[in-house]
Amino acid sequence: MNFSKAAKDNLSQILAITEKNFRLRLRVRISLFFSFVSPIIMIIMPLIIMGKFFEYNDNFGPWTEANFLIFPFLAYNIALLKSIIKVFPTNLRQEKYWQTLQCLIIAPFNRFNLLFGMFLSQVLIVSIPFFIFIIICYFIYPISFFTLFFVLFLFLLIALIFSGIGIIMGIFAISHEEMWAILSFLLTLVFWASCLTYPFDIYPDFLQFLIRLNPFYYMFDVVRLTWIENNILLTLQLYPFNFAIIFSCAIILPILGVIVFNYIYKKYGIVGY
Amino acid sequence: MADNIIETFDLTKIYKLKGSKRTILALNKVNLGIKKGEIFGLLGPNGAGKTTMISILSTLLHPTSGYATIDGFNILKKNRQAKSRISLMLESSMLYYRITGYQNLKFFCKIYKVPNFQEKIRTMVNDFDLSKWLNQYVENYSSGMKMKLALFRTFLLDRDIVFMDEPTLGLDVKSVNFVANKIKAMNKTIFLTSHDMNVVEKLCDRIAFIDEGKIVKVGTKEDLKRLEQTEVKIKILIKNSFNKLKSELNQQNYVLNIVDMKDGFEISLKERAYYNDLLKILINYDILMVKEQELTIEDLFLKMF
Repeated sequence: MNFSKAAKDNLSQILAITEKNFRLRLRVRISLFFSFVSPIIMIIMPLIIMGKFFEYNDNFGPWTEANFLIFPFLAYNIALLKSIIKVFPTNLRQEKYWQTLQCLIIAPFNRFNLLFGMFLSQVLIVSIPFFIFIIICYFIYPISFFTLFFVLFLFLLIALIFSGIGIIMGIFAISHEEMWAILSFLLTLVFWASCLTYPFDIYPDFLQFLIRLNPFYYMFDVVRLTWIENNILLTLQLYPFNFAIIFSCAIILPILGVIVFNYIYKKYGIVGY
Repeated sequence: MADNIIETFDLTKIYKLKGSKRTILALNKVNLGIKKGEIFGLLGPNGAGKTTMISILSTLLHPTSGYATIDGFNILKKNRQAKSRISLMLESSMLYYRITGYQNLKFFCKIYKVPNFQEKIRTMVNDFDLSKWLNQYVENYSSGMKMKLALFRTFLLDRDIVFMDEPTLGLDVKSVNFVANKIKAMNKTIFLTSHDMNVVEKLCDRIAFIDEGKIVKVGTKEDLKRLEQTEVKIKILIKNSFNKLKSELNQQNYVLNIVDMKDGFEISLKERAYYNDLLKILINYDILMVKEQELTIEDLFLKMF
């Protein structure tokens, strides 16, 4: 089989998974709507606290009264993308009980196609509220189009990273539910200690030490810093470690995710239906 | 056995029971060979290991020991090649209920890389009596229609080997007949499990009986019937002298059992060798009909389990 035929087949499979997942999600629109609203609740408290804080202070780390709204609003977008992690176990478990998973899993297709198909469908699903918040951020704190596209690219990398984590969560959800529960809890801790909704400087010293060990912190922070610096070259020079983490994770995690998926599936199979 | 398209070698599956050290032997060193183009039925009581067998052969489950080959490819080592030759049809129909029938077919055709599937759907849809329903959500389909759609998908995927687990479960007689006829027309190697003995009788070229994970009997329907048929059941319809004939038959030690029927009886002879002795008695009566009752697969099943 030549390369173009293989590429066409793979693309066709990815788009088939995307279309199917998209259609299935759109059947229950109310639940979809609330999945967009819930992350707004998450950012209300940080907005109130930070708003009050800047009434009495000029700045807090890189955050000022002029730019602090970017912080929670971009956090909302990250929270939207975080749904990619959840969508893998949710969908795979649903398909396990519908027994469609068996028909899907015995099909001769690469697991990367499953990953990219689900990644694409979820990115499409969250795209409307995502871009609404990007536009709001743009009006609050305008940046150059070049920076804007770069920030969108960084978001795409984060979405890819989340897909890698999602597929690992997904295989445990259908093969080893106890491990899935443990991983879900660990992930909650990791997200909590990632400075998603509150600035790093607000945390006490011992927590700051832990946060510094958390790769998510560097990934999320670099998106916000790129926005408020509005100078990609300067941001790249100032925070090379953050960029190294986000780029390497975007390559490693999807590959690792597929390897873990295949290994766990081979070891345990589909369990509990 | 080079002509076998499916072959198992000491296939064993042990399930560990949660919270105890006990285990369940779901498959116990199963050795089977299924020829190309054959419709093979695997029968057994609930929990005998039929679904485990299908799950392993369709690469959904790993055996504890032993292995199987699909078209010569070891399912453990050449998993991808083995997968490319099989499709699966379970009793649940394995469809997405929240999208339409057409969207289901389109999705699976793309995933299984079926060329020109749109054309194939157009030409085959009427054969499956689904043309009016294809653009409706599957959740609105009846059980029979869901199974027709699943069968339609199996036809479209066009794999050499089809594994079917209870394909007629919960269907009415008309739908069972439809599904059975389509399976027969498929012209593929089919590995089938079913509790519908009529379907098995109608479709299968060979049958294996499995119990507690072990194959207890395997052969063609005719071979199995011949081997298992020790007693002969005969239906007799008589015009008059019903009680006289019954009492005379009761006195014969080769008559094992007499069951009354309308205008006659069904008797069980100890062996076929006593057939002539029976006829010598019947010749003295006004007999309307004498018919040997053929052993059915259901009789075989009941005899074994």
